Amino acid sequence: MAEKGVLDGVRVLTLEQVHALPWGTGFLADLGADVIRVESPDHLQDRKAGPFPDGQPGEEWWNEAGNLVYYGTRNKRSLCMDVTDPRGKEIFLKLVEKADIVTDNFRPGTMQRFGFDHDSLSAINPRIITLSSTAYGYTGPWRRAGSRARTVDAACGLSYLTGYEGGPSMRASNNYMDHSVGNNVAYALLLALYQRNKTGEGMRIDLTMLETGVSAVGPAILEAQSGITRDRLGCSHWWKAPHNVYPARGEDRWIVIVVSSDDEWQLLKQAMGSPCWANDARFDTVLSRWNNRHELDEHLAQWTSQRDDLELARELQQQGITAGSCMTARDLVGNAHLQERRYFREFANPQAPEVGSRIFAGRPFNDPGNPMTISKVAGLGQDNGAILADLAGLSASEIGDLENQGVVFGAPRPDEPRP
Amino acid sequence: MPGILSELRVLELTHRPSGAFCAKLLADQGADTIKVEPPGWGDQSRHEPPFVGDEPHQDRSSTFLAFNTNKRGITLDVEQEAGRDLFLRLAESADIVIESFTPGRLDELGLDYEALSARNAGVIVVSITYFGQDGPYANYRGDDLVAQAMGGYLYAVTGSASKPPMGTALQQMEITAARNGAVAVMAALLRREKTGKGTHIDVSTMEAAVSTPSGLIHPYTYTGRNPHRGGSDGNVMDGMHLPTLDGEVTLTTAGTGGRPMQAWAEFLEEPGLLDPKFASRGGRMEHWEELHSLVAPKLAQWTNLDLMRETMARGLVIGLVQTPTQVVESPHLEERGFFVELDHAEAGPLRYAGSGFFIDGENAMAASRAAPRLGEHNVEILCHELGLSMRELGLLRAARVI
Repeated sequence: MAEKGVLDGVRVLTLEQVHALPWGTGFLADLGADVIRVESPDHLQDRKAGPFPDGQPGEEWWNEAGNLVYYGTRNKRSLCMDVTDPRGKEIFLKLVEKADIVTDNFRPGTMQRFGFDHDSLSAINPRIITLSSTAYGYTGPWRRAGSRARTVDAACGLSYLTGYEGGPSMRASNNYMDHSVGNNVAYALLLALYQRNKTGEGMRIDLTMLETGVSAVGPAILEAQSGITRDRLGCSHWWKAPHNVYPARGEDRWIVIVVSSDDEWQLLKQAMGSPCWANDARFDTVLSRWNNRHELDEHLAQWTSQRDDLELARELQQQGITAGSCMTARDLVGNAHLQERRYFREFANPQAPEVGSRIFAGRPFNDPGNPMTISKVAGLGQDNGAILADLAGLSASEIGDLENQGVVFGAPRPDEPRP
Repeated sequence: MPGILSELRVLELTHRPSGAFCAKLLADQGADTIKVEPPGWGDQSRHEPPFVGDEPHQDRSSTFLAFNTNKRGITLDVEQEAGRDLFLRLAESADIVIESFTPGRLDELGLDYEALSARNAGVIVVSITYFGQDGPYANYRGDDLVAQAMGGYLYAVTGSASKPPMGTALQQMEITAARNGAVAVMAALLRREKTGKGTHIDVSTMEAAVSTPSGLIHPYTYTGRNPHRGGSDGNVMDGMHLPTLDGEVTLTTAGTGGRPMQAWAEFLEEPGLLDPKFASRGGRMEHWEELHSLVAPKLAQWTNLDLMRETMARGLVIGLVQTPTQVVESPHLEERGFFVELDHAEAGPLRYAGSGFFIDGENAMAASRAAPRLGEHNVEILCHELGLSMRELGLLRAARVI
């Protein structure tokens, strides 16, 4: 919980797993909401997913994964409780009385089976906002289907359109859609809070990964209705040439160069020292360059392959040419621009002292009014006591009983397999 | 219901898809969003192919139509003094101004955050650029591919390990920057409700690219290994695209209770999958060509929708690799009422993608209007709302201010 963030006083109960929803509620946690991740002792895969230092899970592996800091429990609290136990369910419903938002990413039907569907929760707390983040939504013939982010990259049309020039379709990403959906979750929840400030009323949000994905390929949706086929072009462009990724000096080093006009082509020619091939009339105009772009790319690749990509990109940019090095994670962590902008976050998690301090990607926006930092990362069940005492009104002995009876947990069960 | 943001006014003065899409996200929730374009040429994306109806036309670019729904449009040359004056008058009633100039240019024009907030203390200014407002790259030139490259996405995410890097289609880094910008705007609005204060938000598309694959930065700082593209290479059961009768599909080993090959052998009626060499992920990768030769002919007997229905019934998890046409014709999306039909004077009626969420069962996307034609609302906004006379409008038009 950040100190006095804009969402100070907003409480979120989240039954979340994997990636998209935790990414979304992470924004609210960064903005100061009290986000309580209600975790099941029977589903610890997020805490097993790592990454772990040098790939080696340590003694308390359940608090060590890097994903927890990046989005899993960062700025959140953890209540590890079995909500399928009647006592766990009763406590959850007590917490709902003091919550503003309940989110889940179970398949449709599960929340109802628990007795946690919107209507049941709304009967307890009419101001409650619920958001279910699913692959395909609560209605429609695919509502019961499972998913992974990559299966939705496929279903929304993005992967079909992605591929090397002239080649087959390819998976766009392993988890791009998790992040798009997480961003959409945060947007929808902030909209809901804004609306509730006006009306005082809660609402039910049915947010889907498929539809978020389709909204990201909007132009192709219109083209499909107009009989237009979008060819796969790899890193090439519909009308710009050169516009591609070119080899640079060294192993697996690459640079991107983009030319949008004849003037920019003249600049690039000068930067190359006006080699003979570049004076060929076939490369003079935007139209002839595009029509001869494969040959153009080959010439350019020969030139770039002798050069250091980071240096060349800097030189080209200084001359007004759009270019960029194809950066690796290592390049980025050492990148002067990002360092000067204080983009990265460094964090040492007291819950995982063996891990030490590590660097994480930051938020891609900065608002001086709403600073976002990492102030804590919740260990498994770390906040059981505080939540159960302060919000559910339980005594220390009642909490002790729940621990002894296997309703709440401060650590994985003794027989839980290690990751 | 009226859109959640229907009491708000947004001014959009942007040059790239990120700014347009960010403003669209707000417009689709009902904000009165005024797109300000340079006279004559307008937004560059008006001229980007392809075009609805094929023939190039400034009101029929698919990208422009898709990224500018629910906005009104005016033309205004803010490089001229008279244009700047009108922009400042409009900004007095704006809650949010979204801009994408090279850092420093708005200061030169006298339209920077300080100038705008002096007239309108609560204004929220969003600057959405490729590299952000400061730092050594602040004045660099970019586009979506450059953002993918410099943000580490291009190297690590999409392509094959044995081939050059390859990008994800359709300007996804622009869209990701826009989605982050919309989150920042909502947080700023909620703060303004408490404090009355506006703010200046700095969004970087390069940074949006860095933060998007969770398998990039901290996996490196935890293990010392650079994440590298190629995760779907030879990955028959968890990443490759495989042909069906009428399309393609991608399989997963999810939903199989830890016994993926048994589950898939049974479903595909292919006992060859039970060979112990396919039991582990490593074994499946090592013998992927053989595995492919067993799986592919079986999948090729299915149509996409039948395969989806039958795998779903058994709890198996797959993804249909849908073409945009299959998406548009999806019975699932049809039943949910996801698409929103908007009529456009030049492009005709088309079905547009919704917002991705439903509120109390209603599609959350406002359906007030399709993208504006160039200068479509000049008279409505500048004369009827701002009070210019027709004579003044004509004069400013002759001077190419409007």
